[in-house]
Amino acid sequence: MSHKKPAFVFPPFASDYPDDPFSNMPGYDVCFRKFLSRAAGFTDPDLKRFEVPGMTFLDDELKTQYISYIQACALISWFKSKGIVPAYSAGYSMGIYAALYQSEVISFLDGLVLIRQAFQAVNETIGKGAFGMCAIIGLNRDDIEQLIRKDKSGMEIAIQNSVCSFSISGPSTNIAKLVQTAQTEGALNTRIFNVSIPYHSSFLKDTAEDFWDFIAQMKFHSPRMPIISLIDQELLLEEEILKKEVVRNLYTALNWYETQLYLQELGVTRFVECGSGKGLVKNARFIEGDAVTMTANSFSATLGG
Amino acid sequence: MATITDITKKEVKEIVFNFFSEECEVDLSSLNENTNIIKDIDGDSLMFLELIEIFKKKYNLDIELKTIGKYAVKHPVQTIGQLIDMQLLIIEHENKLLEI
Repeated sequence: MSHKKPAFVFPPFASDYPDDPFSNMPGYDVCFRKFLSRAAGFTDPDLKRFEVPGMTFLDDELKTQYISYIQACALISWFKSKGIVPAYSAGYSMGIYAALYQSEVISFLDGLVLIRQAFQAVNETIGKGAFGMCAIIGLNRDDIEQLIRKDKSGMEIAIQNSVCSFSISGPSTNIAKLVQTAQTEGALNTRIFNVSIPYHSSFLKDTAEDFWDFIAQMKFHSPRMPIISLIDQELLLEEEILKKEVVRNLYTALNWYETQLYLQELGVTRFVECGSGKGLVKNARFIEGDAVTMTANSFSATLGG
Repeated sequence: MATITDITKKEVKEIVFNFFSEECEVDLSSLNENTNIIKDIDGDSLMFLELIEIFKKKYNLDIELKTIGKYAVKHPVQTIGQLIDMQLLIIEHENKLLEI
């Protein structure tokens, strides 16, 4: 009964950490610390030092991805302990690994392995190239494509979030110029992301072969609930298809806008942003439909005693 | 071009104040037209965008977001009062906003 069950959406790495984002969720901190400790023992002992405020690792792209994944997995575990599992699992950008964990396709530790391997693969692909990403809000797709065409550096729309919100990937110098131009052309908000990787663009196409060779050896299980592709909105139900999705997620543009619309057609009336931020909650204001998008914290408050 | 009546002004003010009170989780009584949206109540430009959408639907406005964006570059909005004034201009002039 999907109209009574939510879709859990797993965001990518954070850009900041708000104070007490899980205030309605007693026991979450303990759960998070357990997952953090396991991750630290397995992949990077430094992770144990994570603290908000203080040691947030926001200047370390890989650690930031680890932390977002660990937070998401702790949320999954917390909700599961309350008997709550979603009808659909959606991984926004690098949130795909948490979506796989939610659906019990991979183990927690395998998710860390995939994050590390993907990070190494993309860094090998870009080599010494300087890349980046930005957000532009307030211009439509045609406007942005026109600006990109004029620039001629091959920047690409990486993610469509709504009719007026986009993430763009490309060479970092051109990204910076694009942001300036977009402001002049009437963009209401622009932001350069703190990343050096042009995610979800063909700049990363060369990661495919080696990453596929790695992932082909891993054990994926059948998903417990459908995972939806943000690339083409297909419901991913088989192990091999999921592996291909993880690979192409790195170099293929995503469309969260169409994904959220499609999930609403499937009967989803609630979307839960499973992270510490509110980016997807805010973005949902610009997506048609009656579905409500809420933070994990707000969703937990609706669960009752 | 729409005529801005006293009723329209009152409606717009109410919507804007109630919006920020709810979104920024602050008491309505603590807000006034000099409240700085970002510095005083931790607002953001997405809230501005959402208000535009609210008014576009309510008054059936014909205006592109980028028109508002271009106007805002020349007339930056920082306070609730400035935002109300701009919303009234948007309602009054719609896509001719840049011709003011």
